[in-house]
Amino acid sequence: MKYTTFNQVNNNPLIEPMFFGNPVNVARYDQQKHPIFEKLIEKQISFFWRPEEVDVSKDRVDFQKLSDSEKHIFISNLKYQTLLDSIQGRSPNIAFLPIISIPELETWVETWSFFETIHSRSYTHILRNLFGDPSSIFDDIVENKEIKKRAEDISKYYDDLIFATQLWQTLGEGTHTIKGETHIITMRELKKKLYLCMNSVNALEAIRFYVSFACTFAFAERELMEGNSKIIRLIARDENLHLTSTQHVLNLWAKGKDDPEMAEIAEECKEQATQIFLHAVEQEKEWAAFLFQHGSMIGLNKEILCQYVEFIANHRMSAIGLGQPFDIKNNPLPWMNNYLSSDNVQVAPQESEISSYLVGQIDSEVSAEDFGDFDL
Amino acid sequence: MVTIKDHKTVKHPPQNTLLETIEQHQIEIQYHCREGYCGACRTKLTKGQVEYKTDPLAFIDDDEILPCCCFPISDIQIDIG
Ligand code: FES
Ligand SMILES: [Fe+2]
Ligand SMILES: [Fe+2]
Repeated sequence: MKYTTFNQVNNNPLIEPMFFGNPVNVARYDQQKHPIFEKLIEKQISFFWRPEEVDVSKDRVDFQKLSDSEKHIFISNLKYQTLLDSIQGRSPNIAFLPIISIPELETWVETWSFFETIHSRSYTHILRNLFGDPSSIFDDIVENKEIKKRAEDISKYYDDLIFATQLWQTLGEGTHTIKGETHIITMRELKKKLYLCMNSVNALEAIRFYVSFACTFAFAERELMEGNSKIIRLIARDENLHLTSTQHVLNLWAKGKDDPEMAEIAEECKEQATQIFLHAVEQEKEWAAFLFQHGSMIGLNKEILCQYVEFIANHRMSAIGLGQPFDIKNNPLPWMNNYLSSDNVQVAPQESEISSYLVGQIDSEVSAEDFGDFDL
Repeated sequence: MVTIKDHKTVKHPPQNTLLETIEQHQIEIQYHCREGYCGACRTKLTKGQVEYKTDPLAFIDDDEILPCCCFPISDIQIDIG
Protein backbone atom coordinates (compact mmCIF):
# COMPACT_ATOMS: atom_id res chain seq x y z
CA MET A 1 0.00 0.00 0.00
CA LYS A 2 1.34 3.38 -1.05
CA TYR A 3 2.13 5.73 1.81
CA THR A 4 0.31 9.02 1.90
CA THR A 5 1.25 11.97 4.08
CA PHE A 6 -2.39 12.90 4.49
CA ASN A 7 -4.82 10.04 4.12
CA GLN A 8 -8.04 11.40 2.56
CA VAL A 9 -10.16 8.50 3.83
CA ASN A 10 -12.35 9.75 6.67
CA ASN A 11 -11.43 6.85 8.92
CA ASN A 12 -11.98 6.48 12.65
CA PRO A 13 -8.58 6.39 14.40
CA LEU A 14 -10.24 4.92 17.49
CA ILE A 15 -10.73 1.61 15.68
CA GLU A 16 -7.44 1.51 13.81
CA PRO A 17 -4.73 -0.93 14.96
CA MET A 18 -1.45 0.61 16.14
CA PHE A 19 0.30 -0.53 12.94
CA PHE A 20 -0.63 -1.47 9.37
CA GLY A 21 -4.09 0.09 9.32
CA ASN A 22 -4.87 3.35 7.50
CA PRO A 23 -2.08 5.92 7.49
CA VAL A 24 -2.70 8.66 10.06
CA ASN A 25 -4.36 11.82 8.77
CA VAL A 26 -5.34 14.38 11.43
CA ALA A 27 -2.84 14.82 14.26
CA ARG A 28 -5.42 14.98 17.02
CA TYR A 29 -4.96 14.12 20.67
CA ASP A 30 -8.37 14.96 22.12
CA GLN A 31 -9.27 11.29 21.85
CA GLN A 32 -6.99 8.30 21.88
CA LYS A 33 -7.33 4.64 21.15
CA HIS A 34 -4.42 3.95 23.52
CA PRO A 35 -4.20 6.90 25.97
CA ILE A 36 -0.91 5.60 27.40
CA PHE A 37 1.02 7.02 24.45
CA GLU A 38 -0.42 10.48 25.00
CA LYS A 39 0.63 10.27 28.65
CA LEU A 40 4.12 9.15 27.66
CA ILE A 41 4.43 12.12 25.29
CA GLU A 42 3.51 14.51 28.10
CA LYS A 43 5.92 12.88 30.52
CA GLN A 44 8.77 12.83 28.01
CA ILE A 45 8.29 16.50 27.13
CA SER A 46 8.29 17.37 30.83
CA PHE A 47 11.78 15.78 30.99
CA PHE A 48 13.21 18.17 28.41
CA TRP A 49 16.86 19.00 29.03
CA ARG A 50 19.86 20.40 27.17
CA PRO A 51 23.35 18.90 27.44
CA GLU A 52 24.90 22.38 27.70
CA GLU A 53 23.06 22.93 30.97
CA VAL A 54 25.32 20.40 32.63
CA ASP A 55 28.77 21.63 33.59
CA VAL A 56 31.24 18.94 32.56
CA SER A 57 34.38 21.10 32.83
CA LYS A 58 35.64 19.43 36.04
CA ASP A 59 35.58 16.05 34.27
CA ARG A 60 38.58 17.09 32.19
CA VAL A 61 40.72 17.22 35.32
CA ASP A 62 39.27 13.94 36.62
CA PHE A 63 39.90 12.20 33.31
CA GLN A 64 43.63 12.85 33.57
CA LYS A 65 43.62 11.09 36.94
CA LEU A 66 42.15 7.86 35.55
CA SER A 67 44.37 4.87 34.89
CA ASP A 68 44.76 3.72 31.28
CA SER A 69 42.38 0.81 31.83
CA GLU A 70 39.81 3.18 33.33
CA LYS A 71 40.19 5.54 30.40
CA HIS A 72 39.57 2.61 28.09
CA ILE A 73 36.39 1.76 30.02
CA PHE A 74 35.13 5.32 30.03
CA ILE A 75 35.77 6.05 26.35
CA SER A 76 34.59 2.67 25.07
CA ASN A 77 31.30 3.10 26.87
CA LEU A 78 30.79 6.51 25.36
CA LYS A 79 31.47 5.06 21.91
CA TYR A 80 28.94 2.29 22.44
CA GLN A 81 26.33 4.71 23.71
CA THR A 82 27.00 6.98 20.76
CA LEU A 83 26.31 4.04 18.48
CA LEU A 84 23.06 3.13 20.27
CA ASP A 85 21.72 6.66 20.17
CA SER A 86 22.81 7.14 16.55
CA ILE A 87 20.58 4.20 15.70
CA GLN A 88 17.73 5.21 17.99
CA GLY A 89 17.72 8.83 16.86
CA ARG A 90 16.57 7.81 13.41
CA SER A 91 15.33 4.24 13.27
CA PRO A 92 12.02 4.38 15.14
CA ASN A 93 11.05 7.22 12.80
CA ILE A 94 12.07 5.50 9.60
CA ALA A 95 10.85 2.01 10.50
CA PHE A 96 7.67 2.73 12.44
CA LEU A 97 6.22 6.04 11.22
CA PRO A 98 5.32 4.80 7.72
CA ILE A 99 3.25 1.94 9.17
CA ILE A 100 1.68 3.56 12.24
CA SER A 101 -2.07 4.15 12.16
CA ILE A 102 -2.93 6.12 15.29
CA PRO A 103 -1.87 9.73 15.94
CA GLU A 104 -0.85 9.34 19.59
CA LEU A 105 1.58 6.55 18.75
CA GLU A 106 2.92 8.45 15.75
CA THR A 107 3.70 11.46 17.92
CA TRP A 108 5.10 9.31 20.71
CA VAL A 109 7.62 7.78 18.28
CA GLU A 110 8.64 11.21 17.03
CA THR A 111 9.03 12.51 20.59
CA TRP A 112 10.99 9.43 21.63
CA SER A 113 13.39 9.69 18.70
CA PHE A 114 13.87 13.40 19.27
CA PHE A 115 15.10 12.70 22.78
CA GLU A 116 17.57 10.17 21.41
CA THR A 117 19.04 13.00 19.36
CA ILE A 118 19.50 14.99 22.58
CA HIS A 119 21.44 12.00 23.92
CA SER A 120 23.64 11.98 20.83
CA ARG A 121 24.29 15.69 21.19
CA SER A 122 25.26 15.20 24.80
CA TYR A 123 28.05 12.76 23.83
CA THR A 124 29.57 15.43 21.63
CA HIS A 125 29.29 17.85 24.56
CA ILE A 126 31.10 15.39 26.87
CA LEU A 127 33.81 14.43 24.38
CA ARG A 128 34.49 17.95 23.17
CA ASN A 129 35.12 18.93 26.77
CA LEU A 130 37.60 16.09 27.24
CA PHE A 131 39.50 16.27 23.97
CA GLY A 132 38.86 19.53 22.19
CA ASP A 133 38.80 17.60 18.94
CA PRO A 134 36.96 14.31 19.45
CA SER A 135 37.17 13.20 15.78
CA SER A 136 39.31 10.15 16.43
CA ILE A 137 36.80 8.86 18.99
CA PHE A 138 33.88 9.23 16.60
CA ASP A 139 35.87 7.77 13.71
CA ASP A 140 36.62 4.64 15.70
CA ILE A 141 32.91 3.86 16.14
CA VAL A 142 32.74 2.63 12.54
CA GLU A 143 36.10 0.83 12.83
CA ASN A 144 35.95 -0.84 16.24
CA LYS A 145 34.94 -4.46 15.75
CA GLU A 146 33.33 -4.88 19.19
CA ILE A 147 31.04 -1.96 18.43
CA LYS A 148 30.37 -2.97 14.83
CA LYS A 149 29.27 -6.43 15.93
CA ARG A 150 26.60 -4.87 18.12
CA ALA A 151 25.59 -2.35 15.49
CA GLU A 152 24.86 -5.13 13.06
CA ASP A 153 22.69 -7.07 15.47
CA ILE A 154 20.65 -4.05 16.41
CA SER A 155 20.17 -2.54 12.99
CA LYS A 156 19.35 -5.77 11.14
CA TYR A 157 15.79 -6.05 12.51
CA TYR A 158 15.11 -2.44 11.69
CA ASP A 159 16.64 -2.74 8.22
CA ASP A 160 14.69 -5.89 7.48
CA LEU A 161 11.39 -4.27 8.41
CA ILE A 162 12.22 -1.07 6.53
CA PHE A 163 13.10 -2.93 3.33
CA ALA A 164 10.00 -5.15 3.45
CA THR A 165 7.83 -2.08 4.09
CA GLN A 166 9.36 -0.35 1.07
CA LEU A 167 8.59 -3.32 -1.16
CA TRP A 168 5.06 -3.46 0.17
CA GLN A 169 4.55 0.27 -0.38
CA THR A 170 5.81 0.22 -3.94
CA LEU A 171 4.88 -3.26 -5.20
CA GLY A 172 2.24 -4.51 -2.78
CA GLU A 173 1.85 -8.04 -1.46
CA GLY A 174 3.28 -10.82 -3.59
CA THR A 175 6.53 -12.46 -4.57
CA HIS A 176 9.00 -9.92 -5.85
CA THR A 177 12.38 -10.53 -7.42
CA ILE A 178 14.81 -7.69 -6.87
CA LYS A 179 18.36 -7.98 -8.24
CA GLY A 180 18.01 -11.73 -8.45
CA GLU A 181 16.73 -12.11 -4.89
CA THR A 182 13.21 -13.29 -4.15
CA HIS A 183 11.17 -11.57 -1.46
CA ILE A 184 7.80 -12.84 -0.31
CA ILE A 185 5.74 -9.93 0.95
CA THR A 186 2.55 -10.76 2.80
CA MET A 187 0.83 -8.85 5.58
CA ARG A 188 1.59 -11.74 7.92
CA GLU A 189 5.32 -11.59 7.10
CA LEU A 190 5.37 -7.82 7.52
CA LYS A 191 3.73 -8.10 10.92
CA LYS A 192 6.21 -10.77 11.98
CA LYS A 193 9.10 -8.54 11.01
CA LEU A 194 7.49 -5.72 12.98
CA TYR A 195 7.07 -7.98 16.01
CA LEU A 196 10.70 -9.10 15.97
CA CYS A 197 11.92 -5.56 15.41
CA MET A 198 9.89 -4.30 18.38
CA ASN A 199 11.39 -7.03 20.54
CA SER A 200 14.88 -6.09 19.46
CA VAL A 201 14.20 -2.42 20.26
CA ASN A 202 12.71 -3.41 23.59
CA ALA A 203 15.83 -5.40 24.47
CA LEU A 204 17.98 -2.46 23.43
CA GLU A 205 16.13 -0.02 25.67
CA ALA A 206 15.92 -2.63 28.45
CA ILE A 207 19.50 -3.75 28.93
CA ARG A 208 21.92 -2.48 26.32
CA PHE A 209 22.70 0.69 28.23
CA TYR A 210 23.08 -0.79 31.67
CA VAL A 211 26.69 -1.98 31.57
CA SER A 212 27.84 1.48 30.62
CA PHE A 213 25.45 3.12 33.10
CA ALA A 214 26.95 0.96 35.85
CA CYS A 215 30.50 2.05 34.93
CA THR A 216 29.51 5.71 34.81
CA PHE A 217 27.88 5.55 38.21
CA ALA A 218 30.77 3.56 39.66
CA PHE A 219 33.03 6.48 38.70
CA ALA A 220 30.55 8.87 40.28
CA GLU A 221 30.56 6.82 43.50
CA ARG A 222 34.26 7.74 43.69
CA GLU A 223 33.35 11.38 42.93
CA LEU A 224 34.93 11.14 39.49
CA MET A 225 33.48 12.28 36.17
CA GLU A 226 30.42 13.69 37.90
CA GLY A 227 29.38 15.98 35.06
CA ASN A 228 29.22 12.96 32.82
CA SER A 229 27.26 11.08 35.46
CA LYS A 230 24.73 13.88 35.68
CA ILE A 231 24.17 13.67 31.93
CA ILE A 232 23.89 9.89 32.04
CA ARG A 233 21.27 10.16 34.79
CA LEU A 234 19.18 12.36 32.52
CA ILE A 235 19.65 9.87 29.69
CA ALA A 236 18.74 6.93 31.94
CA ARG A 237 15.53 8.67 32.95
CA ASP A 238 14.55 9.01 29.27
CA GLU A 239 15.54 5.41 28.49
CA ASN A 240 13.27 4.16 31.25
CA LEU A 241 10.37 5.88 29.57
CA HIS A 242 11.29 4.47 26.15
CA LEU A 243 11.37 1.01 27.64
CA THR A 244 7.96 1.53 29.19
CA SER A 245 6.59 2.39 25.75
CA THR A 246 7.95 -0.73 24.03
CA GLN A 247 6.67 -2.87 26.90
CA HIS A 248 3.23 -1.35 26.41
CA VAL A 249 3.27 -2.03 22.68
CA LEU A 250 4.33 -5.65 23.17
CA ASN A 251 1.78 -6.25 25.89
CA LEU A 252 -1.08 -4.58 24.01
CA TRP A 253 -0.36 -7.04 21.20
CA ALA A 254 0.15 -10.13 23.35
CA LYS A 255 -2.98 -9.52 25.39
CA GLY A 256 -5.12 -9.09 22.31
CA LYS A 257 -5.88 -5.45 23.10
CA ASP A 258 -4.95 -4.22 19.65
CA ASP A 259 -4.57 -6.23 16.44
CA PRO A 260 -5.76 -9.85 16.97
CA GLU A 261 -3.30 -11.09 14.35
CA MET A 262 -0.44 -9.59 16.38
CA ALA A 263 -1.64 -11.64 19.38
CA GLU A 264 -1.26 -14.80 17.27
CA ILE A 265 2.16 -13.71 16.08
CA ALA A 266 3.27 -12.95 19.64
CA GLU A 267 2.36 -16.51 20.59
CA GLU A 268 3.96 -17.99 17.50
CA CYS A 269 7.22 -16.02 17.79
CA LYS A 270 7.66 -16.19 21.55
CA GLU A 271 10.75 -18.38 21.27
CA GLN A 272 12.35 -16.01 18.76
CA ALA A 273 11.56 -13.05 21.02
CA THR A 274 13.21 -14.85 23.93
CA GLN A 275 16.29 -15.56 21.83
CA ILE A 276 16.57 -11.92 20.77
CA PHE A 277 16.59 -10.91 24.42
CA LEU A 278 19.02 -13.61 25.54
CA HIS A 279 21.36 -12.74 22.69
CA ALA A 280 21.40 -9.11 23.81
CA VAL A 281 22.21 -10.32 27.35
CA GLU A 282 25.14 -12.35 25.98
CA GLN A 283 26.44 -9.40 24.02
CA GLU A 284 26.30 -7.16 27.07
CA LYS A 285 28.31 -9.69 29.04
CA GLU A 286 30.87 -9.84 26.23
CA TRP A 287 30.95 -6.08 26.35
CA ALA A 288 31.80 -6.22 30.05
CA ALA A 289 34.66 -8.61 29.22
CA PHE A 290 35.92 -6.24 26.52
CA LEU A 291 35.77 -3.26 28.89
CA PHE A 292 37.77 -4.99 31.60
CA GLN A 293 40.33 -6.66 29.34
CA HIS A 294 43.09 -4.31 30.52
CA GLY A 295 42.02 -4.39 34.16
CA SER A 296 38.90 -3.55 36.15
CA MET A 297 37.98 -0.44 38.06
CA ILE A 298 37.37 0.15 41.77
CA GLY A 299 33.93 -1.06 42.78
CA LEU A 300 33.25 -3.04 39.62
CA ASN A 301 34.51 -6.12 37.86
CA LYS A 302 33.34 -8.29 35.03
CA GLU A 303 31.60 -10.90 37.21
CA ILE A 304 29.51 -8.45 39.17
CA LEU A 305 28.55 -6.58 36.00
CA CYS A 306 27.42 -9.81 34.35
CA GLN A 307 25.32 -10.62 37.39
CA TYR A 308 23.78 -7.17 37.20
CA VAL A 309 22.91 -7.69 33.54
CA GLU A 310 21.18 -10.96 34.45
CA PHE A 311 19.35 -9.32 37.30
CA ILE A 312 18.06 -6.52 35.09
CA ALA A 313 17.22 -9.00 32.33
CA ASN A 314 15.03 -11.04 34.70
CA HIS A 315 12.99 -7.95 35.51
CA ARG A 316 12.70 -6.78 31.94
CA MET A 317 11.87 -10.18 30.50
CA SER A 318 9.15 -10.93 33.03
CA ALA A 319 7.53 -7.59 32.17
CA ILE A 320 6.82 -8.88 28.66
CA GLY A 321 5.82 -12.39 29.66
CA LEU A 322 9.16 -14.10 28.95
CA GLY A 323 9.71 -15.31 32.52
CA GLN A 324 12.87 -14.96 34.61
CA PRO A 325 15.52 -17.19 33.01
CA PHE A 326 18.37 -16.34 35.40
CA ASP A 327 18.85 -17.58 38.97
CA ILE A 328 19.97 -14.30 40.46
CA LYS A 329 17.50 -12.94 43.04
CA ASN A 330 19.24 -9.99 44.72
CA ASN A 331 20.51 -6.82 43.11
CA PRO A 332 24.32 -7.10 43.04
CA LEU A 333 24.71 -3.31 42.59
CA PRO A 334 22.09 -1.81 44.93
CA TRP A 335 23.65 1.68 44.78
CA MET A 336 22.66 1.85 41.10
CA ASN A 337 19.09 2.53 42.16
CA ASN A 338 20.03 5.89 43.70
CA TYR A 339 21.35 7.05 40.35
CA LEU A 340 18.38 5.74 38.43
CA SER A 341 15.75 7.46 40.56
CA SER A 342 14.20 10.73 39.45
CA ASP A 343 14.85 12.46 42.79
CA ASN A 344 17.23 15.38 42.40
CA VAL A 345 17.97 14.54 38.80
CA GLN A 346 16.91 17.98 37.57
CA VAL A 347 19.82 20.23 36.73
CA ALA A 348 20.23 22.77 39.53
CA PRO A 349 20.37 26.31 38.07
CA GLN A 350 23.48 27.29 40.06
CA GLU A 351 25.36 24.37 38.49
CA SER A 352 24.35 25.19 34.96
CA GLU A 353 26.69 26.80 32.54
CA ILE A 354 25.18 30.08 31.52
CA SER A 355 25.81 30.82 27.89
CA SER A 356 28.23 33.68 28.57
CA TYR A 357 30.34 31.28 30.60
CA LEU A 358 30.28 28.83 27.71
CA VAL A 359 31.64 31.52 25.42
CA GLY A 360 34.38 32.17 28.00
CA GLN A 361 35.19 28.48 28.07
CA ILE A 362 35.69 28.26 24.33
CA ASP A 363 38.00 31.26 24.43
CA SER A 364 40.05 30.02 27.37
CA GLU A 365 42.76 28.63 25.07
CA VAL A 366 43.48 32.12 23.77
CA SER A 367 46.81 33.37 25.05
CA ALA A 368 47.69 36.78 26.45
CA GLU A 369 49.55 37.82 23.29
CA ASP A 370 46.33 37.58 21.35
CA PHE A 371 45.20 40.64 23.25
CA GLY A 372 48.40 42.55 22.49
CA ASP A 373 46.65 45.17 20.42
CA PHE A 374 43.84 45.73 22.87
CA ASP A 375 43.83 48.94 24.83
CA LEU A 376 41.66 48.66 27.92
CA MET B 1 -1.49 -3.56 57.60
CA VAL B 2 0.71 -4.79 54.79
CA THR B 3 1.57 -8.48 54.60
CA ILE B 4 4.67 -9.16 52.51
CA LYS B 5 5.01 -12.76 51.41
CA ASP B 6 8.13 -14.50 52.81
CA HIS B 7 8.82 -11.47 55.00
CA LYS B 8 6.52 -9.99 57.62
CA THR B 9 3.37 -8.03 58.28
CA VAL B 10 3.98 -4.35 58.89
CA LYS B 11 1.95 -1.28 59.75
CA HIS B 12 1.46 1.24 56.98
CA PRO B 13 1.51 4.96 57.91
CA PRO B 14 -1.02 6.63 55.58
CA GLN B 15 1.31 9.43 54.42
CA ASN B 16 3.82 6.88 53.04
CA THR B 17 3.87 5.35 49.64
CA LEU B 18 3.86 1.58 49.88
CA LEU B 19 7.50 1.57 48.74
CA GLU B 20 8.55 3.82 51.61
CA THR B 21 6.86 1.56 54.13
CA ILE B 22 8.60 -1.51 52.73
CA GLU B 23 11.97 0.25 52.77
CA GLN B 24 11.51 1.41 56.36
CA HIS B 25 11.42 -2.25 57.34
CA GLN B 26 14.68 -3.01 55.49
CA ILE B 27 13.03 -5.36 53.04
CA GLU B 28 14.83 -5.41 49.70
CA ILE B 29 12.64 -4.11 46.92
CA GLN B 30 13.59 -2.82 43.50
CA TYR B 31 13.08 0.72 42.38
CA HIS B 32 14.43 3.12 39.82
CA CYS B 33 12.31 6.16 39.03
CA ARG B 34 10.09 6.26 42.17
CA GLU B 35 7.54 8.07 40.02
CA GLY B 36 5.55 5.31 38.37
CA TYR B 37 7.02 5.36 34.89
CA CYS B 38 9.78 2.72 34.85
CA GLY B 39 8.15 -0.40 36.28
CA ALA B 40 11.18 -1.46 38.36
CA CYS B 41 9.08 -1.77 41.52
CA ARG B 42 6.34 -3.89 39.89
CA THR B 43 4.84 -6.13 42.58
CA LYS B 44 2.01 -8.70 42.82
CA LEU B 45 -1.02 -7.66 44.84
CA THR B 46 -2.61 -10.86 46.14
CA LYS B 47 -5.22 -9.31 48.41
CA GLY B 48 -6.72 -5.90 49.13
CA GLN B 49 -6.77 -2.61 47.27
CA VAL B 50 -4.50 0.34 46.54
CA GLU B 51 -5.02 3.76 44.99
CA TYR B 52 -2.82 6.04 42.91
CA LYS B 53 -2.63 9.79 43.32
CA THR B 54 -0.81 10.19 40.01
CA ASP B 55 -1.38 8.07 36.95
CA PRO B 56 1.04 5.12 36.83
CA LEU B 57 2.62 5.01 33.36
CA ALA B 58 4.67 1.82 33.59
CA PHE B 59 3.17 -1.37 32.25
CA ILE B 60 1.61 -3.53 34.97
CA ASP B 61 -0.54 -6.62 34.72
CA ASP B 62 -4.06 -6.71 36.18
CA ASP B 63 -2.80 -8.29 39.41
CA GLU B 64 0.21 -6.01 39.80
CA ILE B 65 0.86 -2.65 41.47
CA LEU B 66 3.60 -0.02 41.54
CA PRO B 67 4.56 0.45 45.21
CA CYS B 68 6.52 3.65 44.47
CA CYS B 69 3.36 5.60 43.76
CA CYS B 70 0.48 3.67 45.32
CA PHE B 71 -1.22 3.94 48.67
CA PRO B 72 -3.03 0.99 50.28
CA ILE B 73 -6.72 1.68 50.99
CA SER B 74 -7.30 -1.60 52.83
CA ASP B 75 -5.19 -4.28 54.45
CA ILE B 76 -3.17 -5.78 51.64
CA GLN B 77 -1.02 -8.80 50.81
CA ILE B 78 1.81 -8.47 48.36
CA ASP B 79 4.51 -10.67 46.83
CA ILE B 80 7.67 -8.86 45.86
CA GLY B 81 9.14 -12.04 44.33
S1 FES C 1 10.16 2.77 40.78
FE1 FES C 1 9.68 3.28 38.73
S2 FES C 1 7.64 2.59 38.60
FE2 FES C 1 8.07 2.32 40.68
FE1 LIG D 1 19.00 7.28 24.16
FE1 LIG E 1 16.00 5.20 24.18
